[in-house]
Amino acid sequence: MEFIDYYKILELDKSASQANIKKAYRKLARKYHPDLNPNDKSAQARFQQINEANEVLSDPEKRKKYDKHGKGWEHAEQFEHAQRQQQQQYGRGFGGGRQQSYSGNFDNDTFSDFFEQMFGGGARSKGTGRSPQYKGQDFNAELQLNLSDVYTSKKHTLTVNRKNIRITIPAGVENRQTIKIKGHGGLGIQGGPNGDLLITFNIVNDTKFKREKENLYTTADVDFYTAILGGEITIDTFTGKVKLKVKPETQPATQIKLKGKGFPKYKKEGQFGDLYITYQIKMPTNLTTREKELFEELQKLRS
Amino acid sequence: MNLNDLIAIDELCIRYKVELTFIRSLSESGLIEMIILEQKEYLHCDKITEFEKMHRLYHDLNINLEGLEAIQHLLKKLKELQESNLQLLNRLNLYE
Repeated sequence: MEFIDYYKILELDKSASQANIKKAYRKLARKYHPDLNPNDKSAQARFQQINEANEVLSDPEKRKKYDKHGKGWEHAEQFEHAQRQQQQQYGRGFGGGRQQSYSGNFDNDTFSDFFEQMFGGGARSKGTGRSPQYKGQDFNAELQLNLSDVYTSKKHTLTVNRKNIRITIPAGVENRQTIKIKGHGGLGIQGGPNGDLLITFNIVNDTKFKREKENLYTTADVDFYTAILGGEITIDTFTGKVKLKVKPETQPATQIKLKGKGFPKYKKEGQFGDLYITYQIKMPTNLTTREKELFEELQKLRS
Repeated sequence: MNLNDLIAIDELCIRYKVELTFIRSLSESGLIEMIILEQKEYLHCDKITEFEKMHRLYHDLNINLEGLEAIQHLLKKLKELQESNLQLLNRLNLYE
């Protein structure tokens, strides 16, 4: 566990006054508040650091302890224990004041191990000076799924706060799409509505197809002679093989569309996108003398 | 409309320790949508996250109503840009 420089976090020097600490905190809180930086995990982490730094530096008792031990904080507990014993003799306990810290319905609303170690788990001023909450906390979760898993709607069982929730993930969900499961977040406070569970999907492509929304893209090899003379090839679609007629004189990189053979449209049952196939013409190699002669003959016919 | 999904505004005032005028000002500025049923004002429970956000910005960060309006507008734009960026990133996979 590393020492945390709270002065550096609030961009202050050690002699900063309480007014300067408050000013610096407010300025940085406005910059990094998660409500103003949606979907920005780095801003959220920075905001938590700022809150923690303020919790310590704006509380004279905590600041005194922090300043006294500094980088030697690991020995602070032993030192404080001895001091507490001494103070108890005079009927005084060691405790921090309650300071204002900004609130929010944010995940990971916790302080660092460094803070917990130095000031103890109960040292936070949670609940005082913070915006009151009525609705339960929203929970954010990430779920990794394979592309092939989201071709059909499937039921999944998730464990949230030791409770199993059975949800149906609709076919066609997109990479990084977030769905809301209403009421499955934190419990409402004093009869308030429960928070929601927000699930963001990370879709890993485990197929040879490329996907953009409901359309799929792939390539198919066509041998030179079939491309010139026409013929038939077999290609893979998401649901199986299909035979395709190749027109004579097909050019390289020709793209054809198989209507309705793409990916399911999100929340539109029975509707599918298209599959786009790009032909890659494979040129013959290792020509024999006879083949070369025939190609030369063809070339003469064309010139 | 399911009445169970509605939260009476006076209940919100008590829970969040805010003045009725604050909630009405949010509504008048178009920042939240109030529902009026039989002359009683309500907020739909789906909108409470938005209300809490406005409440935090107003009370915790000392941002006034005009500031909230500007922020709301910019956050809406940011959301659109983030969605468009995500679509472009997903599309980029086609070329990788």
